[in-house]
Amino acid sequence: MPALLNIEAVSKRFGAFTALRDIHLHIGQREFVALLGPSGCGKTTLLRTIAGFSHPDSGRLLMDGQDIGPLPPYRRPLNTVFQNYALFPHMTVQENVAYGPRRQGASRREAGERAREALTLVGLEDLGERYPREMSGGQQQRVALARAIVNRPKLLLLDEPLSALDLKLRKRMQLELKHLQEKLGIAFVFVTHDQEEAMTMADRIVVMNAGRIEQVGSATEIYSTPASRFVAEFIGDANLVDYRVDAQGRARLALPVADLTLPAPDASDGVAVLRPEHLRLVDAGEPGQLRAQVRDIVTVGSHTLLHVETDDGMRLVARTPGLPEAHLGVGSRVALGFDPARLHLIGTPR
Amino acid sequence: MNRGLRMPLAMLAAPLAFFVAFFLAPLAVVILASLSDTANAWTLEQYVRVLADRYHWEVILVTFRIACLTTLVSLLLGYPLAWYLTRMVRWRAWRRVCVILLVVPMFTSNIVRSFGWMVLLGRKGLLNQTLLDGGLIDRPLRLLGTETGILIGMVYVLLPFMVLAIGNALSRLDASHELASADLGAPPRATFFHVILPLTLPGVISGCIMVFTLAVSAYVTPALLSGGRISVLSMLIFQQYSSVFDFHYGGALSVVLLIFTLVMVGFAGRIGRTRGDA
Repeated sequence: MPALLNIEAVSKRFGAFTALRDIHLHIGQREFVALLGPSGCGKTTLLRTIAGFSHPDSGRLLMDGQDIGPLPPYRRPLNTVFQNYALFPHMTVQENVAYGPRRQGASRREAGERAREALTLVGLEDLGERYPREMSGGQQQRVALARAIVNRPKLLLLDEPLSALDLKLRKRMQLELKHLQEKLGIAFVFVTHDQEEAMTMADRIVVMNAGRIEQVGSATEIYSTPASRFVAEFIGDANLVDYRVDAQGRARLALPVADLTLPAPDASDGVAVLRPEHLRLVDAGEPGQLRAQVRDIVTVGSHTLLHVETDDGMRLVARTPGLPEAHLGVGSRVALGFDPARLHLIGTPR
Repeated sequence: MNRGLRMPLAMLAAPLAFFVAFFLAPLAVVILASLSDTANAWTLEQYVRVLADRYHWEVILVTFRIACLTTLVSLLLGYPLAWYLTRMVRWRAWRRVCVILLVVPMFTSNIVRSFGWMVLLGRKGLLNQTLLDGGLIDRPLRLLGTETGILIGMVYVLLPFMVLAIGNALSRLDASHELASADLGAPPRATFFHVILPLTLPGVISGCIMVFTLAVSAYVTPALLSGGRISVLSMLIFQQYSSVFDFHYGGALSVVLLIFTLVMVGFAGRIGRTRGDA
């Protein structure tokens, strides 16, 4: 199936600041893509570029094969859910949602009908006569969503739409959004700085940093095989271990474990990722183990994070399920084991 | 008395006394005078004199026509000007210069500025000379002593109020509303009429009310630019107080002006409330 949106070599500078560097990205029909990254990484600029609010210095945007770059925002076949919702305060909820169809030439009656339909989709069919200011944040968020999908765009852009909601509501809306996207069958491009949010909803995650795409992949891919040190550290917790490549092309890890070598991805030295949940407590005496002292114990409830320091001064984090065992305390000596196959070696950074 | 209330009341006393002495008392004097005759007996005779006279109705009509047109022209000129200042000027220093140019004339006396217009609008004034030299007209336009002349002077004097009121509303507008409108398929024109104008309506209304009330009660500008040919209510009132010394009759004229103005302003305020922040 051909891509819905092709972003080709898009770059954007604001004075001395480079917001986007040579971005290439394809978004498929009905795909849910999350743009994930820290603030200032360019994800919002990329979204604004797709919407037409920001003009790239170079590069092309093709939607269904048509170059939409020269089109003003009001001619682009896509809609946006804004971070602050941007609901029109002088219109009722119903009028807000009917605004899109009205501007696209629908009759008052038809626009009203479609607005009611969209409001029903988000569960607000009874609140059409209210004004946005009379609604809660969560309800306003739904109105913004209804207003953006009422025109049946092929692509919906969402700019951190859940960031103003409290945690519980946010979790619920994440799943609702995902279901709505499947039901509507339109592609979503979702900007977020919350990796959990991205992993919950997206089919594909685009990790961005400093105006560049670091990695594109499913949640599993970017978590278990991060393409760069940045991705490894940004997505979840990570123990990063340096390695050197020897003459035989084997990666020798800087871990105090005898004879641990792995096939190196390329000829240069690099860094390996070991997720905390792959480090486990073992009985002293087993082969291939690390000896360490506990520095901190963080109890989250569902799991416990053990911050340890190995005998040669390397700091690592181990995650164990459930509450910590009673005999463990700060200063306890522990032995840690891991399966070398769980180590992911990041090759030369691009 | 409640101890906690004494302090705020003491602090309110001074402004309250000021308000009573300088706003309410003079108004009360005018109203009482309008309701009595020279023998100080209560009567509505003054109002009958004002309202039964065709001439007064004509003056009232002229007064309100000039005030309404001044408001309308100020609005039509002021909105684009405010738009230019808040939206199009990117260079902050230039914006500051524009605002100063707008406000500085208000520091000069109204009389001086109106005399300036007398010079400009006269038969051999700058405006007519320019138009004649440019071949745009064959004979000088008669502007002094016409409602058009008064209108030009009034718009000049009152335009800054309109620009500042609308500019304030425009600069406080959340830009994301315009983006949302464009995103939903509205071209710039539709965005202006459906989103920007309704959202700045409170500023428009307050600018209109300000300009209208100042225009309807203006004395200096119409008096100087009328050339004695046109009378507005404030000029009649001034005559009664300063030359005829009939404070009763002058008071009644003042109250009539006040009531007509309040009715108009109340009407405008209603539009602002129902449409503006809905």
